[in-house]
Amino acid sequence: MSAEAEFAPSGFSSVERSGRSAGNIAAAALRFGSLIAFAAILIVFSITAPYFLSVGNIGNVLGQSAISGVLAIGLTIVLIAGGSNVVTGGIDLSLAANMGLSAAVYASLTQLGYGDAVAIAASILTGSLIGLVNAIAVVYAGIVPLLATLAVMNIVAGLELVLTGNTVIPASTPILSALSASDPFGIPVLAYVLIDFTVLATAVVQYTPLGLRLYAIGEFPDAARAAGLPLRRLLAGAFIASGVCGGLAGILSVSYLSGSTTGSGEMLLPVVVTALLGSVFPRRLVPTITGTLLSALLVGFLSNGFQLLNISSTLVSGIQGLLILIVVSATTLLRRQEA
Amino acid sequence: MTIENSNTGLGRRELLKLSALAGVAVTGASLLGQKSVQAADEELSLKGKRIAISATGTDHFFDLQAYNAQIDEVKRLGGEPIAVDAGRNDGKLVSQLQTLIAQKPDAIVQILGTLSVIDPWLKKARDAGIPVLTVDVGSTNSINNTTSDNWGIGKDLALQLVSDIGGEGNIVVFNGFYGVTPCAIRYDQLVNVVKYFPKVKILQPELRDVIPNTVQDAFTQITAILNKYPEKGSIKAIWSAWDIPQLGATQALVAAGRTEIRTYGVDGSPEVLQLIADPKSPAGADVAQQPAEIGRTAIRNVAKLLAGQTLPRETYVPALLANKTNVAEVTKKLGIG
Repeated sequence: MSAEAEFAPSGFSSVERSGRSAGNIAAAALRFGSLIAFAAILIVFSITAPYFLSVGNIGNVLGQSAISGVLAIGLTIVLIAGGSNVVTGGIDLSLAANMGLSAAVYASLTQLGYGDAVAIAASILTGSLIGLVNAIAVVYAGIVPLLATLAVMNIVAGLELVLTGNTVIPASTPILSALSASDPFGIPVLAYVLIDFTVLATAVVQYTPLGLRLYAIGEFPDAARAAGLPLRRLLAGAFIASGVCGGLAGILSVSYLSGSTTGSGEMLLPVVVTALLGSVFPRRLVPTITGTLLSALLVGFLSNGFQLLNISSTLVSGIQGLLILIVVSATTLLRRQEA
Repeated sequence: MTIENSNTGLGRRELLKLSALAGVAVTGASLLGQKSVQAADEELSLKGKRIAISATGTDHFFDLQAYNAQIDEVKRLGGEPIAVDAGRNDGKLVSQLQTLIAQKPDAIVQILGTLSVIDPWLKKARDAGIPVLTVDVGSTNSINNTTSDNWGIGKDLALQLVSDIGGEGNIVVFNGFYGVTPCAIRYDQLVNVVKYFPKVKILQPELRDVIPNTVQDAFTQITAILNKYPEKGSIKAIWSAWDIPQLGATQALVAAGRTEIRTYGVDGSPEVLQLIADPKSPAGADVAQQPAEIGRTAIRNVAKLLAGQTLPRETYVPALLANKTNVAEVTKKLGIG
């Protein structure tokens, strides 16, 4: 609701006006607008929803967003390196299935009696191998990422079915218990994992020459090639990094769900939405790691706030979708205005 | 669905009264028992209480009926329901349970769910001092589990199956959800019964039913197995722990013209009961649970608990076996169709 109040006036007034300066003002409004909208949603929930503002609840939302956050960050890296055109640009549709298979590998290994160290290594290896297959398909075979990763998604989901027989494999190990626990303040460990992972990813992607090169090959591939950047290696690296994120998310998922469960594929669309929604937060409206984190938290806070407000479960996804549509359409309108 | 809900609301209560009357006819003692139970139920109240209802999903007849009946019953008793539906997504289910624990309701009622996934979180709720009750999922962290008597269901269904096939022949079994306690009990009962009928054989490998696309998948799997066993009589029956795979299996039998094979399932989904009522359909029997009554009973148990009463470990709500001969009667009793 608050997002509507924030966006509708700025969006429409900017359409009526024209010219470069008006566009700049509108873009500026949007830059802060999306953040203001986010803040407004939080404020509304803080006032109306009981328990919303408690440390434990905010920690819960961070923890609940950890799995989708890590996956969306992986996807963001691919979006940056592949360009953000939804059809021809970078996309990794195999991420959710990757998480499912990596989780299944972890749970199966612990069932066979292997320890955490082996299981963690195997999950990360599984994730990175899937990333490697994507990289080969996209970079060396030249298949459009949308199709290549869609095919890989099916292969990976099939492998998960073969491995688990579509059943739940329970897993309980010291590290998994530690990951699903909470600290003395009631903040889940997964919340810290998400923050640490975001800090690490932000440091690499936003503050190193490597990160800058990823943006260069995604946004201006011709210029990047002319400047002598190793386009193929960088793009392949982005897919492998995304694969590793899938493996990591698999480990988090095993701890969160006390094992590997079926239906990991359902994570795909929420993760894609989270990563694409992420570009409304940063100043230049491009995909960034922090933007993706904010968007993952927005989605998390929305579900959480609606539950705390005791809104009927049949309405929640509709309202959530509407709010997201408002945020995204405001961005699109303003982008067109700028161009 | 809405029509069904409004009907079942009355129908089920009538049913309770009917069963109470039946009790009168049998013995005076049961009359006293029923009377005192009903009197106690009338005094129950959830005034000022916030009762959390966490459903694994509401896309099946059973959980939708139980979920809606629970919400209505909490309201009827003057309480405030906090109802969340995870849409059969385990991640969402766990997040919702986690947030529910933070909301500190007066009690949490969990409907279904894979035990290994939910149990750690039910334990956290219990550790936080919130009473946990369950519907159709036995957990050491739940004070009371309201469910159908799955041992009875499993035994009744297995005996009907064995008797229908004359005590010999191959049966195909869907066993994809052995991790779900009620399914495991029903399956174990089938195995227990079959053990004493040496000529009955469960074909290996067993099939795995899936969610979602249960019907289509069961159709495909049964079509494939019929091709593997093309001779009439090589398969006598198809068993599944619930009746949605039974639906797909029955359709596959009709499509392949192998209507000599009978199908068996549990839950009393209206579409399956309809098939059983059709004399030409290969659907053999379906044990119908009373999901709305199960839901209401669970909420009444919450009220009893909060009023200081001690609850039994499990509360059983009777299930009704519908076969070719009595299906009309059962359907009428359930208030559907």
